[in-house]
Amino acid sequence: MSSEHQLRHQAFVYESDDEYVACSVGFLKEGLESGDACLVGNTRDGNAIMREALGEDADRVTFYDVGSLYTRPARSLATYNRTFLEQLQAAPSVRAVANGQFGPTPHEWNEWATYEALTNLAYPDLPVWVVCAYDANRTPQPALDAVLQTHPEILSGDSRASEHYEDPREIVRRLTPEPQHLSGLRSWSTGDDLERFRERIARELVTENVPAHAALRTLVASTEIASNALTHGGGIEEVRTGSTDGRFVCEVIDRGSGFDDPAAGYIAPRPGRGSGLWVARQLTWRMEAFKSTGGFTVRLWT
Amino acid sequence: MLWEGNLTRRDQPRATESAGSRAKDVRGSPLSGRQERDLVVAAERGDRAACRQLVDHYLPAIAGVAQRFERGGGVQHAELMQEGVAGLLFAARRYDPRMETPFWAYASFWVRKGMQEMVADVTHPVALSDHAVRGLALIRAARREHLEAHAAEPTMAELADATGLAPAQLESLLATERRPRSFDEIVPHDAVTTATLRDQIADPDAEIAYDHLLDEMEVLDFAGLLDDRERTVLWSHYGIDQRTPETLSTIGARLGLTAERVRQIEADALEKLRTTAAEEPAT
Repeated sequence: MSSEHQLRHQAFVYESDDEYVACSVGFLKEGLESGDACLVGNTRDGNAIMREALGEDADRVTFYDVGSLYTRPARSLATYNRTFLEQLQAAPSVRAVANGQFGPTPHEWNEWATYEALTNLAYPDLPVWVVCAYDANRTPQPALDAVLQTHPEILSGDSRASEHYEDPREIVRRLTPEPQHLSGLRSWSTGDDLERFRERIARELVTENVPAHAALRTLVASTEIASNALTHGGGIEEVRTGSTDGRFVCEVIDRGSGFDDPAAGYIAPRPGRGSGLWVARQLTWRMEAFKSTGGFTVRLWT
Repeated sequence: MLWEGNLTRRDQPRATESAGSRAKDVRGSPLSGRQERDLVVAAERGDRAACRQLVDHYLPAIAGVAQRFERGGGVQHAELMQEGVAGLLFAARRYDPRMETPFWAYASFWVRKGMQEMVADVTHPVALSDHAVRGLALIRAARREHLEAHAAEPTMAELADATGLAPAQLESLLATERRPRSFDEIVPHDAVTTATLRDQIADPDAEIAYDHLLDEMEVLDFAGLLDDRERTVLWSHYGIDQRTPETLSTIGARLGLTAERVRQIEADALEKLRTTAAEEPAT
């Protein structure tokens, strides 16, 4: 793979460990011969099988345990983005074979599909060839269906375009739960003064007993949102804060028309591209953006 | 990975308060839905005390899952428990109340999965490459020499020094040599009696050591990015950690700086935090 290529995101659905190993080893060895940095992401037992199959080449491949990698889409994307950037310091391009890790509920399958869809958007500029491997016998059918919708290419003997591939943003939009109105939040305003905004947010965090390390994150994340409201949203109309479901919530409502991009905050920062929403997603548990009668709202959950 | 240091004899004095003794309070009374939710949220944020409480509360349930894997043999109870604890903490980081699934119903999936993967890893037949065989021979020779010279087992660091192998490589090679031990294996207890391995392992409900797991899941130490002065300014201005909020002028007077200089320090500190958040995954 030469460095002028951009992200290739393929799905590989396999029926047996032997098939997984044969295909993955061939893919990686080809990459090693071309001078690519090569990665394998699997569980510990999966990595052990791959080490064994790669033999001495295993020393030239970076293995990582996906057992604790996938928490939420924003953080998993950030981990991959950083890993790829690190690998690209020493190689013109990267090849990776990564196994998925998703939980037992339909909610989690949707979140996983969201993550896979976002992968197409998060770092499209990187010369990285990712093969996402799925065990057909262990992957629930709805998740397998989503695999075909979220990967532009399918690896099956050779590579072919997925007939079921969908616009990633449409998938994310469809699978993101509608934000619910939260009652019981305190409404306040400090105008367009960012320092006063932070001072008030800090007091609200103390009121809700948010621990120091989480408070600091929220202070930085909410500053990003407030700053965006001032720069792009015509100013801050209202702020609402309080606790819901055991978490601190901060809503910043601005006077602008907002944005209608379900991938906002999931695109990796690059020089010349804003990183405020990315920062906010990284530092909070969840971020929601929606239009309401009060204006355009960005809601952060700590 | 084996954590043999966690095997504790029942008769060993406890130098410090154990997780188990703290757990008694937690296990004594069931958690309300709200208490459980608050613990899960705090654990997700990286609050170590909350992680401990959550783990303590669910240790009996984790032990129940572990028992099913023990019947197959080949793995140690303590190892299974630690995989279970790791699975529980991972579940706390992923759990979303919108799933409308009770926490344990969700977490037990990850607890079981962690144990399954560990069993698969430990019991997987290992075929070693020539390279690995040479590495193992190197390790054995280094261990033998160390034993002869010092009459004591070498530490991992000493083995790494002696062989020139990287710690991760060393760990990986040593793992291939571990022999699964049965819980019912007879081992010497004292001069006149014997006991099974099971007897020598402390009650896992009381003695599981999981500090390393908490270390692994620790969130990016945001405050650790700041120097003392930056931290003082941010903490004092915004009343972080129960402080009384102060104006920039008051902070400046205390530090011998102008209010404007304090404002600059604060702006630099916030910029440092945002830049790090843009570049580093927050885990």
